Amino acid sequence: MDVSQYLEIFLDETKEHLQNLNTLILNLEQSPEDMDAINEIFRAAHSLKGMAGTMGYKRMQNLTHDMENVFSEVRNGQIKVKANMIDILFQCLDALENYLANIQATSDEGTENNEPLMKLLNGLLEPETSGDETPKKEKVQNATKVSDTVAASDNKSLDTKEPKKWLDIKLDESAKDVMKEAIRRGKKVYGITVFVQESCILKAARAFLVFKALEPIGEIIVSVPSTQDIEDEKFDLDFSMFFITDKDSDVVMRAIKNVSEIREAIAEEVDKAQLLPSGDEDAYEEAEVTSAKKHNTGDSNTAVANTSQSQVQETQTSKPDKKNSVSKPIVNRTVRVDIEKLDVLMNLVSELIIAKNSLVSAAATDTSGNTNVNEQIEYLESVTTNLHESVMKVRMVPIESVLNKFPRMIRDLSKSLNKKMELYMTGEETELDRTVVDEIGDPLMHLLRNSADHGLESPEVRKQRGKNSVGSIFLDAYQDGNNVIIEVRDDGNGIDVDVVKNKAIERGVITVDQAENMPDKDIINLLFLPSFSTAKVVSDVSGRGVGLDVVKSKIEALSGEVEVRSKLGEGSTFTIRLPLTLAIIQALMVDVGNEKYAISLSSIQTIEDISPSEIKTVQAKEVINLRGSVIPLVRLNTVLDVTSTKTEDESMVVVIVKKGDKMAGLVVDNLMGQQEIVIKSLGKYISKSKIISGATILGDGEVALILDTNALF
Amino acid sequence: MNELKMESSTTQYIVIRLGKEQYGIDIKNIDNIVRMQHITRVPKVAEYLKGVINLRGEVIPVMSLRLKMNLSVDEITKSTRIIILKFEQGAIGVMVDEVKEVITLDHAQIDKVTYDNKEDKVNYLSGVGKTADGLISILDLNVVVSERENA
Repeated sequence: MDVSQYLEIFLDETKEHLQNLNTLILNLEQSPEDMDAINEIFRAAHSLKGMAGTMGYKRMQNLTHDMENVFSEVRNGQIKVKANMIDILFQCLDALENYLANIQATSDEGTENNEPLMKLLNGLLEPETSGDETPKKEKVQNATKVSDTVAASDNKSLDTKEPKKWLDIKLDESAKDVMKEAIRRGKKVYGITVFVQESCILKAARAFLVFKALEPIGEIIVSVPSTQDIEDEKFDLDFSMFFITDKDSDVVMRAIKNVSEIREAIAEEVDKAQLLPSGDEDAYEEAEVTSAKKHNTGDSNTAVANTSQSQVQETQTSKPDKKNSVSKPIVNRTVRVDIEKLDVLMNLVSELIIAKNSLVSAAATDTSGNTNVNEQIEYLESVTTNLHESVMKVRMVPIESVLNKFPRMIRDLSKSLNKKMELYMTGEETELDRTVVDEIGDPLMHLLRNSADHGLESPEVRKQRGKNSVGSIFLDAYQDGNNVIIEVRDDGNGIDVDVVKNKAIERGVITVDQAENMPDKDIINLLFLPSFSTAKVVSDVSGRGVGLDVVKSKIEALSGEVEVRSKLGEGSTFTIRLPLTLAIIQALMVDVGNEKYAISLSSIQTIEDISPSEIKTVQAKEVINLRGSVIPLVRLNTVLDVTSTKTEDESMVVVIVKKGDKMAGLVVDNLMGQQEIVIKSLGKYISKSKIISGATILGDGEVALILDTNALF
Repeated sequence: MNELKMESSTTQYIVIRLGKEQYGIDIKNIDNIVRMQHITRVPKVAEYLKGVINLRGEVIPVMSLRLKMNLSVDEITKSTRIIILKFEQGAIGVMVDEVKEVITLDHAQIDKVTYDNKEDKVNYLSGVGKTADGLISILDLNVVVSERENA
């Protein structure tokens, strides 16, 4: 079977499952008795196995199979979760990730069998299960067999090896009423479980066809998983339902089995006794008058329960558990869309906004005073703005997908660095543009590693300093206006300014004189220079000098900025500020000379009217004193080589912009107003202009340039 | 077979005028020819880069061929045109005084230009084409749009 077309989906889903497993196993490490987590892990491992098998990745399948075995034992209470088990499981996940990387690169899983790992996994199974394990298993099998054969007595087509999963369906009262009513009216109620072939790829479609086949001959009361989940393919290889019909069971069976890729289906008539709600006396009376044959079926069920060993009870109790965890991700209706399609959509919205802007400017020059046109344009404006916001939201994904991998990383670091540390994260749900989220992972990882390696002290030192021997690293993400802030904070040593200073002098980055006069803040910022690492020992975690400068350039490439605050002995905080979106921004349009420029609204602090007499000079540079803070002035007309339209003694319009906590005043000739602009690249031929970050097309079709205010500091 | 050979040995050129001289531009790189329009100046870039224009929603840089080739400053007239050239690294417009015609030249009609290596000049020409009307210098577009400047 050619499965290459499903490769993308397989990769995506496998990644999700692996991420899930990582998180869940971490949870399990914290609370080894968490039954929900164990069930969830089992399910994820099982899905992974199924998917790998379908795609023909045998090695992956074997490994996941062994993992699944371990979990099935854990689930049955045969073995307990232990620290070494968690370690082995993490190694398995790493191995699976390697497979995945191989598959992604070459569509082949590679030749690594991971036999040592599988031995370890099987080793986990042995000590606890030796001796009485096998007989127990047999008993379980016997018990289930009994139940099946007895229950199958009135349905010959039943495959005795298939469990009747519809028995697990929890019926609510209304469903029961419907079924009782149907039985009273002489209709038949069947419990049906359908098993899809393991090789089946379009499970949801098969399930849909089954429903389609059943609908003309009767009515489906309930199904597990729900129809919605089935449509979303949120089920393993089987689904169950209750079905009311007046047809015989073989008619029903034929209808189901006509659908291809169905491995097996079991249908069994349900009697009132099975609908018996606890404590419902009315129903109980009715149950008593059911036929003897049906009594048998009911009895057999209780008989099974009586004869079963504790394991059976456990499997039975764990079954509803499993169902619960299946329905846990509730109704999450999503569509996977190629990011390229979204880019196209975003471009079209940009075009629309440009068209709208030109309509606006055309209407503004139109002197006929037609108010109707203006109203319509205003309406159009609100529609395009909403459209833009919606498309942007579609592109937004929670930052969670990136943050998820960090707890695991910190755990590993904690072991390899021999430091105790905890990672606390908040704001995982904060959303960012997909392209930003894809890029932000590496810089954040660098910062966290940096905190773990350089920031946190060894447990001994921490104790001496009266700190908790377990270090804390915090990662907080939150939205702040049109920006998203991500803070990486630790309660470690902080940055030692003197060490940085000496290092900088040693490396020839600054001279001794410069170092004397440099404020601490500037010295800390030296850390962001390329090839600057203060780690005394080069570890494989950090210290190769490729850390912070990479962080800085990556973040600046995303139009963001990064700053550090640090207090020696108390810890440091790295703050990353990122724009919500990269394509369309709110900007202030200004005139400089007779040219128009756009300044991103997010960098603007205030706009001031300054008279020339207020200008002072400090070190031959023009500054103004604005409410107590001294702000350097930047005359845009000189920076941009144009002649100002204003005379020397006229009062000046100054746009105060900020970069981190630095401010600067940009002198412009005139303000034109705020506008939503679409950022366009200047192309490769004009990449050298540093003070211009891009261009935009104005309503009249003219091109205006966007000032990169960060470059003016 | 013969026909194919014929095809491959001829090339179409657009003949443009810069001052009094005529130049040929290989048609395969030309995306579009537009009238002169407002060019937004980009500060702090090479002088020959005149700025950017809006071409149906795309921002495209425009350079002056005359300045690039060390000729006198452009005189904008009614016949001034911007030729949009498409390359792998993006589109770029070049300003020319006039676009005259399209000609087809056989390779036999083109003489390769040999330069004296002692001359420390950038060579913008890839050859000289001979037509009934006279000589046409064929521009080497890769050199024209590259960032090297005439010394």
